[in-house]
Amino acid sequence: MTLASDAVAMRPVDMDGKVELTLRVNGRDHRVRARPHHTLLEVLRSELKLFGVREACAVGQCGACTVLADGKPVSSCLVLAPMAEGKEILTVEGLEGPNGELDPIQQSFVDHTAFQCSYCTPGFLLTTKALLAENPDPSEDDARAYLAGNLCRCGSYVKILDAVMDAKERVRGRSAPR
Amino acid sequence: MSAGSVPFSGMIDAYERVTGRIPYTINIELPGMAIAKVLRSTMAHARIARLDVSRARQLPGVYAVLTGADLLERSDIYPYFGPVFRDRPILAIGKVRYVGEPVVAVAAVDADAAQEALDLVDVDYDELPAVFGIDDALAPGAPLVHEEPPKAGHTFADIILHGHPGTNICNQFKLRKGDIERGLAEADEVFEDTFYSPPLQQVPLETHCCVAQVTDGRVTVWATSQIPHMLRGNLAEVFKLPTSRVRVIVPTLGGAYGAKCYPAIEPIAAVLALSAKRPVKFHLTRDEEFVTVTKHGGRITLTTGVTRDGRIVARKSLCHFNTGAYADIGPRLIKNGGYGTAGPHNIPHVWVDSFAIYTNIPPAGAFRGYGINQAAWAYESQMDVIAERLGLDPYEFRMKNLLTEGQTFATGEPVEDCHFRELLTMVAKGIGWDATTRRTRQGPIVRGKGLSCTIKSTVTPSTSIAVVNLNDSGSLNVLTSSVEMGQGQKTAHAILAAERLGISLDKVVVVSPDTDATPYDQQSSSSRTTYAGGAAVQLAVDDVRAQLVRIGSGLLGVPEDAVEIADARVRTKAPPHRGLELGEVVRKSRSGALVGRGTFQTKGNLDPETGQGVASAHWNQAAAAAEVEVDLETGKVRLLRYHGASYPGRVVNRVQAELQLEGNVGFGVSQALFEEMVFDGGQLQNATLADYMLTSTEDMPRELVVHILENRERGDIHGIGETSLPPVMAAIGNAVFHATGVRVKDLPITPEKVLRGLRERDAADQAERNAHAAEPVR
Repeated sequence: MTLASDAVAMRPVDMDGKVELTLRVNGRDHRVRARPHHTLLEVLRSELKLFGVREACAVGQCGACTVLADGKPVSSCLVLAPMAEGKEILTVEGLEGPNGELDPIQQSFVDHTAFQCSYCTPGFLLTTKALLAENPDPSEDDARAYLAGNLCRCGSYVKILDAVMDAKERVRGRSAPR
Repeated sequence: MSAGSVPFSGMIDAYERVTGRIPYTINIELPGMAIAKVLRSTMAHARIARLDVSRARQLPGVYAVLTGADLLERSDIYPYFGPVFRDRPILAIGKVRYVGEPVVAVAAVDADAAQEALDLVDVDYDELPAVFGIDDALAPGAPLVHEEPPKAGHTFADIILHGHPGTNICNQFKLRKGDIERGLAEADEVFEDTFYSPPLQQVPLETHCCVAQVTDGRVTVWATSQIPHMLRGNLAEVFKLPTSRVRVIVPTLGGAYGAKCYPAIEPIAAVLALSAKRPVKFHLTRDEEFVTVTKHGGRITLTTGVTRDGRIVARKSLCHFNTGAYADIGPRLIKNGGYGTAGPHNIPHVWVDSFAIYTNIPPAGAFRGYGINQAAWAYESQMDVIAERLGLDPYEFRMKNLLTEGQTFATGEPVEDCHFRELLTMVAKGIGWDATTRRTRQGPIVRGKGLSCTIKSTVTPSTSIAVVNLNDSGSLNVLTSSVEMGQGQKTAHAILAAERLGISLDKVVVVSPDTDATPYDQQSSSSRTTYAGGAAVQLAVDDVRAQLVRIGSGLLGVPEDAVEIADARVRTKAPPHRGLELGEVVRKSRSGALVGRGTFQTKGNLDPETGQGVASAHWNQAAAAAEVEVDLETGKVRLLRYHGASYPGRVVNRVQAELQLEGNVGFGVSQALFEEMVFDGGQLQNATLADYMLTSTEDMPRELVVHILENRERGDIHGIGETSLPPVMAAIGNAVFHATGVRVKDLPITPEKVLRGLRERDAADQAERNAHAAEPVR
């Protein structure tokens, strides 16, 4: 098996020490240049200007930089950009529909005002999306446990859990056969 | 979205918040922008013996390398800043005073180059003896953190300075109400207890960030600041410029909690931008955030005299707040934290000495609760110590002593609009308070309940100015320098403006702070944004209303007193209400737009020797009841249920009010149980979120009820941003005591401390049993 990073190691390095990477983000392929030690977080922000991805702890403890990689929540601060090649990356910017209509999880967060400063919100939204994909009918305690890796220093947890439980119904309602 | 019919409850910028589009400072990128990084001191206290940056300067891609000595040499820079004392050098000058102090600043083409440049800096230190704790710093002959008395600059009107040159005492606050010696002599019992709160960090998820640009003799910064106008003043001093030549722009903040209250990193970014001749961005890493500003560690000794039937007659408070290496706002915080120790109790004799102490740890500044967390942890814990010893029910003991309407606070001022008893009763009922069944046990798990009730001031005197522009379309722009940091300032101000003018909310836009355009506001802190900033907005709308009436009466050809504003029109009071739409009035006035101005100002001050006078324009009131579970085998405490109550006067935005109250519980749980900055020889041991624990979903109580006691008739707005935080820690501590009999006096209440307490309790019980067993059998 060849690791993506091995393949990257064989690519030409430019004057800035950067290599070319192809990242699939929000359903599109993007060619970017990055130094091999740059994290996915850094590249999403600096190259693709996806500012919904935010650093807060840089050690994978707070969930603010969460993105979905092949549907699984990962801390993009802990993923080296070359390791993300070949994966389907989803950021908060990819949650909206083509005309800017909100995903049901986003709409539920709006309706419950499940945020204050909202720095953590994209991470919560994406983790919730992964939760509901894994378990379409989580209990509130399931949701608490699943979201425990996302910190909200403003402490909007009551409304966040309300929004998640409501989003569950909305997502199920939407996917239910008619 | 119409104001007036269904009250709006939510956030007007919710769409931006859930799509990741909120424009935080960290998103700002300017053409040619360099990235800043800082080399920080590895010594707690040392002379800089040698500092060689020549190799760093030669590195390609490096635009500027600055040291404190460089800044000192420049005639166009004054290299010190601070909100009260100008004691903080932009970069260390001559010596370093804490581990993490900025020593060298670099601006380079990217972060990698900036880091490489820092790696090429050679620095040697001559270590000096250091002081870390309060006792070290106050010991006779202790090394001085600052050899010279700090230089005071232009500052806030409420600040009282009592310096102690030649010591590490940065400032002292004194309060003398009644006759403390007589009061203590009259007491049947006197209790003396010492409580300790550790240094903490505010941990906004968005760390400090500043983008600075110096062009055409003007300094512009985009900053994560709660205080745009004071930051402008400090930068003007640094650059020796008129304040008009400095521009501070504040995008929405990703949390602040006091961390962003006073200037910290902005002077570094700005001098780098000057030197690099290009825009510079300086964004702190998490470990840097931890050493940039902190919450004061505090030691408070309360000597409280009570009568046998449970009336508090006297309290003597000795408070020491560790303000770290630089004063920041410590000189003011000791005042609030000092008089705050009297609590919401009617005490005839109060004596307070409160000190800010310089030490060689990172500077301490504003932190949500502002000294009252430390004070309330002390007095509300001691309330239960006393109740236990006197055999009183903690609820009844509090009810007997809580201030009622018109009684005087420690500062001698009568407390009006007073609701402590109602609030305490609300939470006691909510938690199911019953003095006889406070404790239950199942196997190794014990449960207990605790209460707490607190009082907090808001900075007084203070000033906020707002300007509103009524456009010729009938829409309104609100210009204020109040800062949106997640508390919902923009929504609250928009609601207040819309309802005052009688227009729909979607016609109102609240402009973000830009000191070139938005008027003076003292600060977005002290729970004053909706209350004081909002009052200025209302006054500005009133000014526009007066103009509308004046102009409208002319246009309608009727006297002013026959004209009213209703349904977004200026119309005759009498039916059939002949009238003009607001935009039409503006257009017909040919003034382009109607500009309204509002200045809201509160008055007050304290006597510098007695601390008597007016400390607060109103009093923020809260109560809490907690039920915890303690595992007697592990010492682990879990918060099961929580009822919190606050008095906001009038609620402007229901969901935001709930979020403030719920958020304070989240903020308080980790302060009660986990949070502590751990230092070893001045070196912070836990500067990551892997080692510094915050409340998560799992730590929140399964039952969390917030009670909002409104008084719509009176209509006053009381701040709630901080109000309900101070009672959290003591409510939990008191619940732990009632569950276990273990009184933890130093936060946080860790499993180790609980277990140690349980062992001591068991050993004491055993000793008592042995003593009884040794008694001769009769």
